[in-house]
Amino acid sequence: MSVATAERVIEFRDALREAMSEEMRKDKRVFLLGEEVAEYNGAYKVSKGMLDEFGAKRIIDTPISESGFSGMAIGAAMRGLRPIVEFMSWSFSLVAADPILNNAAKMLYMSGGQFGCPIVFRGNNGAGGQLASTHSWCVESMYANIPGLKMAIPYDAYDAKGLLKTAIQDDNPVFFLESERLLSTTCHVPEEEYTVPFGQAIVRRAGTDCTIISFGRPLHFCLEAAKELAKEGIECDVVDGRTIRPLDIDSMVESVRKTNACVIVDQSWSFASIGSEIAAQIHAICFDDLDNRVYRVHSDDVPTPYAHNLEQAYLPNARKICEAVRQATYNV
Amino acid sequence: MPIEITMPRLSDTMEVGTILHWHVKVGDEVSAGDLLADIETDKATMELQSFDDGCVEQLIVSEGNQVEVGTIIATLSEEGEVGEVASDTKEVVEVPAATQEAPAVTQEVPNTPQAAPTPTPPTREQRTGQRVSPVARRLAEEHGIDLNSVQGSGPSGRIIKRDILQRIDTTSETTSAAQTTKVVSTDVVPSTVPVTPVNMAQPLAPTSPWQQERTEPLSNMRQIIAKRLVESKQTIPHYQVTMDFDMDPLLEMRKTLNEQLVVSGIKLSVNDFLVRCCALSMATNQEFNASFGGDCILYHGPVNVGIAIALPEERGGGLVVGTIRNADQKSLRTISQESSYLSKKARESGLAPDEMGDTTFTISNLGMFGVDNFTAIINPPNSAILAVGAAIEKPVVRNGELAVGHEMCATLSLDHRVIDGAMAAMYLQSLKELIENPASLLV
Repeated sequence: MSVATAERVIEFRDALREAMSEEMRKDKRVFLLGEEVAEYNGAYKVSKGMLDEFGAKRIIDTPISESGFSGMAIGAAMRGLRPIVEFMSWSFSLVAADPILNNAAKMLYMSGGQFGCPIVFRGNNGAGGQLASTHSWCVESMYANIPGLKMAIPYDAYDAKGLLKTAIQDDNPVFFLESERLLSTTCHVPEEEYTVPFGQAIVRRAGTDCTIISFGRPLHFCLEAAKELAKEGIECDVVDGRTIRPLDIDSMVESVRKTNACVIVDQSWSFASIGSEIAAQIHAICFDDLDNRVYRVHSDDVPTPYAHNLEQAYLPNARKICEAVRQATYNV
Repeated sequence: MPIEITMPRLSDTMEVGTILHWHVKVGDEVSAGDLLADIETDKATMELQSFDDGCVEQLIVSEGNQVEVGTIIATLSEEGEVGEVASDTKEVVEVPAATQEAPAVTQEVPNTPQAAPTPTPPTREQRTGQRVSPVARRLAEEHGIDLNSVQGSGPSGRIIKRDILQRIDTTSETTSAAQTTKVVSTDVVPSTVPVTPVNMAQPLAPTSPWQQERTEPLSNMRQIIAKRLVESKQTIPHYQVTMDFDMDPLLEMRKTLNEQLVVSGIKLSVNDFLVRCCALSMATNQEFNASFGGDCILYHGPVNVGIAIALPEERGGGLVVGTIRNADQKSLRTISQESSYLSKKARESGLAPDEMGDTTFTISNLGMFGVDNFTAIINPPNSAILAVGAAIEKPVVRNGELAVGHEMCATLSLDHRVIDGAMAAMYLQSLKELIENPASLLV
């Protein structure tokens, strides 16, 4: 292996494209559809150049009609194809709630195993930056509530590629939640074939004093907080769950058994959320290892504000995480 | 309707109490005034009497267990309703905190909820009176640490991991320090000196029981001494002012008085004189009869002088402060009688709440042990304490001549938030005036 290969650094959006292109080259059943994915090279340039390589039959521009094209893709998946549906934003998936939740997630169950639905829905999730409340949805808590689907949230370009390849290969509907704020971030992504399996959390920073559990973009806030807290002598074990369904609760528990303190950082609202679910599981599984109750950091319980300063204050930012960790570790 | 008996507040600092002994058992008929139990408080062992007639239905807290003030410790059934369970806790018997005025602290102490419709066995928390985090409880069990001996540093005194780890550290440090010492002792042996080979790592002789390393849980009294004095030393800006006193006139007068008082069985101690001197000096130095109140100075009406009384080993050691109330209005004879009564009772059976507490100033005297001088820690909420040494015969200069006389050294510890140095000096001058011209103490 050459040194250049070992240090290949690419953007998150390029990693997503590589994952799709590689899988499309291998499997003729895989195709991409969505708004602006073909002629415009993608609203966020994720599918740049894919129309040229794969042609209009496999890179399909759709009307602004999420319910329609999602339903069409689900039908195609039921008949044996493996569609990738790009939502410009997961906020827009709300108009497709019936097909993606009622059809995709339940098809295998409701057809008694006759029809599966090997489909990937992917797009930007969470506050993109002054997009205001209707375009800044965090759908993970709402959608993860539904049995029958899988959900992955990549943290960096490496995971974006590895997890998306796993998603495309999976025979079940996968909700793949990207972040507009991460598309330009870069990291080393090997050229060689690899995948990141579902249900395997990873420790992004090792520490002994407090476990911080998160997914996707808020992990960056967590690492910022962990750096700050280290100056105060509090060492955090930052666990990236990577997938919400399946959830690698074992790795999270293993970390909590080490630190005896836990803070969950979830960009959804707190009520009936990923955060509340993981907190409940940790209390149930390793209660005797806790030195304090599990603390949670969420977005504030209001619609996402438009104003820049308010949006920053609303997010589960590093300041809030630091406060929660100090509380959880009795350092207040 | 069953009568619930709760852990009473028997002193103004009492937060928890231990049932030492039940004098009754389930099924016993009791009348108002009957002795129910011995309760160990932070200061003393007190008797709990029944305030009602009835039949003992349940003893909820067993002997040796400590519970918070307000916790239900037993229930009585009224005559003719044996076995009925409590259904209305509004009927809970108020066990009055003896004759104490309701101290402000009461409101800060969370009462154990009494709303349970049925008297259920106390939870683990109630039994130990402690909150403990799950992992702290587990670690304590793994290391054989008695949670009752651990002070919690978490919210509401919750015992957390850190508290247990510190305890484990302290224990292992003691052990390793002892080992280190043994190792060092082998190095000290000069190699050139021929010595009989002795395994220095082994103790030379079997150790006596007192030399064995051991851990003994704190008694209630030691816990309260530890808590209150740390609080005092950490929150009060202490400083000390010392003065020597010519004791010859006072000792002379004491001798004369005691010779005359022999028939009435009264023997005035030097300390009795000092109690009166300190009390009389308050009139012109009112800050010495005051407390720091956060945003104000609280000037107390009565002059209640506390005297520190050491307790004998067989009563568990420690000390209590007996109160001589309105000491400025009492004669030497009365002060002496009260002082002897308090010391005797404290040492033999323990003081009642109204015999201690409510002090406005405290005297600690180690003169009888031959101590020259020492400093004391302020007894909150006092703003000063006087540490008194022995009256010692020594060379002194009197009227420009070297002579032999008795001098006593006394040191004030002061709360600088209330009393400044010059004020302390003035108070000592006032004391000196009285001590060195003791005739005025008689009027």
